[in-house]
Amino acid sequence: MEVRHLSVEVRLEGDIAVLDLTGEINGFAEEALSAAYAEAEAMDPSTVLLNFEKVDYINSTGIALIVGLLAKARASRRGLLACNLSEHYVEIFNITRLSDFMSVFPDEKTAVGETSGA
Amino acid sequence: MTDPKPRTDADFGRTLADFSVPSEPGNERLAMETVAKTAQGFGFSGENLERLKTAVAEATMNAMEHGNNYSPELPVELQVLATDYDFLVRITDRGSGPPPTDAGDTPDIEAKLEGLQKSRGWGLFLIKSMVDEMNVTGDEGHHTVELVVHLGAEGGK
Repeated sequence: MEVRHLSVEVRLEGDIAVLDLTGEINGFAEEALSAAYAEAEAMDPSTVLLNFEKVDYINSTGIALIVGLLAKARASRRGLLACNLSEHYVEIFNITRLSDFMSVFPDEKTAVGETSGA
Repeated sequence: MTDPKPRTDADFGRTLADFSVPSEPGNERLAMETVAKTAQGFGFSGENLERLKTAVAEATMNAMEHGNNYSPELPVELQVLATDYDFLVRITDRGSGPPPTDAGDTPDIEAKLEGLQKSRGWGLFLIKSMVDEMNVTGDEGHHTVELVVHLGAEGGK
């Protein structure tokens, strides 16, 4: 089965850097995810939003990569949020307690609205 | 959880699928999708199916990485079985030494964020969270991880 390597588009919505993730978040995703996060950090946003709308597979290595991003965000006092996770991956964020440290929103509009106080 | 007495096919009902995948990164998805098709035919759907898929993918990834050291010539063998009460997936690698069980720290996200635990190490935790039982057996040349989903009113955990 062909691996759907992760690709990431970075854009700024107000003070929030949005990472649009497409593909699989697994061991192959490390380089793309790190590069995209660095690109987002260079914009100096208050918050980084991971948009999982086009992600259909996250494995335990991918969870570890997200934990790594969370550690980076906390070190620089930046918020890290998630949106558009499927019901199953919301459950995984809950049982790993990722959701205790990064808010999970049903969609981008809600995430941006609540974070911006709109 | 370690079962010291490996069970044989005779202990189970029928075999629903029997296949192998080479130990190459990414092949856990092939194993996952193949088991998922069998499980769907057996009535799994929705979140129960997603939980089973994650458990199979993680167990296959562990088998390829820790059992077979990602040597493509070493297969990971998967058997899908069913009894009147349980749906089972047995995942066998060619590893030697003690079987993977509870070794290592239980993942603690706070410790990971503080750098007190490595960021990886979620696999066994996820597997155990996704199925009703995980049994591990091993001999000198194989490890087998058995995933068990009890067939209740909702068709799984």
